Amino acid sequence: MMTVFRYTLRRFRGQILGWGIALALLVVLIVSMYDMIAAEQEQFAELMEIYPAEISAFMGDISTFGTPEGWVSIEFFSYMPLILGIFGVLMGSGLLVSNEENGTLDLIMAHPVSRTALFMGRLLAFVTATVAILVITWLGFIVSMTWSSMDIGWGRIWLPLLSLLAELLLFGTISLFLSMLLPSRRLAATTTGLLLVASFFITGLAKLNEDLEAVAKLSPLNYYQAQDAFHALNGVWLAGLLGSAVVFAALAWWRFQRRDIRVGGEGSWRLPSLARLIRRA
Amino acid sequence: MSDQVALMTRGLIKSYGRVQALRGLDLEVKRGEIFGFLGPNGAGKTTTIRCMLDMIRPQGGTIRVLDLDPQADPVAVRARTGYLPGELQVDPNMTVEGALRYFNALRGNKVDWGFVRQVAARLDLDLEPVIKNLSHGNKQKVGVVQALMHRPQLLLLDEPTLGLDPLMQREVLRLITEAKANGATAFFSSHIMSEVEAVAERVAIIRQGVVVEVAEPSTLINRALRRAHVRFKQPVDTSPLANVPGVTVLSQDDGTSVLLQVEGEMDGLIKALAAFPVSGFETERPSLEEIFLAYYEDDQKEE
Repeated sequence: MMTVFRYTLRRFRGQILGWGIALALLVVLIVSMYDMIAAEQEQFAELMEIYPAEISAFMGDISTFGTPEGWVSIEFFSYMPLILGIFGVLMGSGLLVSNEENGTLDLIMAHPVSRTALFMGRLLAFVTATVAILVITWLGFIVSMTWSSMDIGWGRIWLPLLSLLAELLLFGTISLFLSMLLPSRRLAATTTGLLLVASFFITGLAKLNEDLEAVAKLSPLNYYQAQDAFHALNGVWLAGLLGSAVVFAALAWWRFQRRDIRVGGEGSWRLPSLARLIRRA
Repeated sequence: MSDQVALMTRGLIKSYGRVQALRGLDLEVKRGEIFGFLGPNGAGKTTTIRCMLDMIRPQGGTIRVLDLDPQADPVAVRARTGYLPGELQVDPNMTVEGALRYFNALRGNKVDWGFVRQVAARLDLDLEPVIKNLSHGNKQKVGVVQALMHRPQLLLLDEPTLGLDPLMQREVLRLITEAKANGATAFFSSHIMSEVEAVAERVAIIRQGVVVEVAEPSTLINRALRRAHVRFKQPVDTSPLANVPGVTVLSQDDGTSVLLQVEGEMDGLIKALAAFPVSGFETERPSLEEIFLAYYEDDQKEE
């Protein structure tokens, strides 16, 4: 399992560095801008008052724009599940199936590695890569806060990052599970991506429309904590997200144990072709 | 299963949706044997091999590989097996050495690296280049090296010489023969009949998911139709030759030569020719390829 883990993590190097450095640079920019915002707080507060409620629904409480926590939540954490979620969805859907579709899994599976060891090695590499990206992002906060007046605290920055990690793992494992069920990685990634976007909008819109609150309870992003995490991280919600990720990972593992490994290319639903049905008719 | 049997399948059934790839495949390969597996595309050769490694799961029948059940103990089966897929794909961003070291790591770093270098050198394979920059033939050599490098008890080779030049094809066949000399069993599928004929001790012909024939290549060849070209010193009436059992006259010119097709033993024809002024006699031995094609053509006629 550790060989699979090491090899997979090495394969993820580029993505870890790419996503990590890009997010760290974004964080440096956001934190550096805070001093300007803090200096002009009154003007910004006036500006915020005329902002429509819809903005708050999606970006968090904009009345806290002038506080360090409010600033980083609105400017960074509010939309990060959507942006970094793309990473989770693509990684999860391709964790095993990308190798299957390009035909390299066939040879790997010919070696004395059990399906469980292969699955667990890959999953562990995905979790490690996700954590590594968030650690690089966190370092961006730490470094930029040394020259900014923003002082949130090294440890407190981890609270929304933990919630973000749980969301990423959940969407990654949903995507992984769907890649085991659906005929192609593309379809699994698209389906999970749509779920992610729908979840983002339903969660935001539910703050404007009470009728959507019941539906929003089913939305994973309803349990994502950005600004709220700075004050009190809801451990039950965090555990719920992580627990759901474990359930989807277990379902994906169960399915991987039982399915055939394709030689290469995408699979199919094996439905009768339309042309054949027309010919028969 | 006897200790003398390396591979055994009984009533193996595998379907992909409505397509039945294997329809009750029975096969037995002895230990230390080089066994050729012949069949047209889609006959079920690759499906059979992939069932043996538990990459796909049959819907029926049993498989034993080196006295192990691949579904119950896939890791043990794969540890003892060297596999070369028919459509070899290796991570294109790795170097040849990187890929081989990775496969070695998956095998618990038990491979003798000196042996790897030796096999690579025999195949004229450079370990430095990145896989994506290799030609198809060189990629195939990487596949051959990884299949042999841990000196497996069983070689499962799906078209092992695909894309190789004739010199390298010969070298790969030598490596397979050497592996056999060291006690390994080799089970390989191929479209190149001459190589099967050259190294295989027995062959199986698979057609539409069932084995239709298992025999030594020489038996298959001897059992098949042969052609005989007879030349005479002067024009003769060749019609008595058509009455010899098993002989068919294919063509004749002005009575000085005749082309015959002979089924089974040549004895009757030789005795009949004793009455003729024969100046020359040549027989054409059919290749395994012609025999294979005959099976395949029969199949098409049935359809």
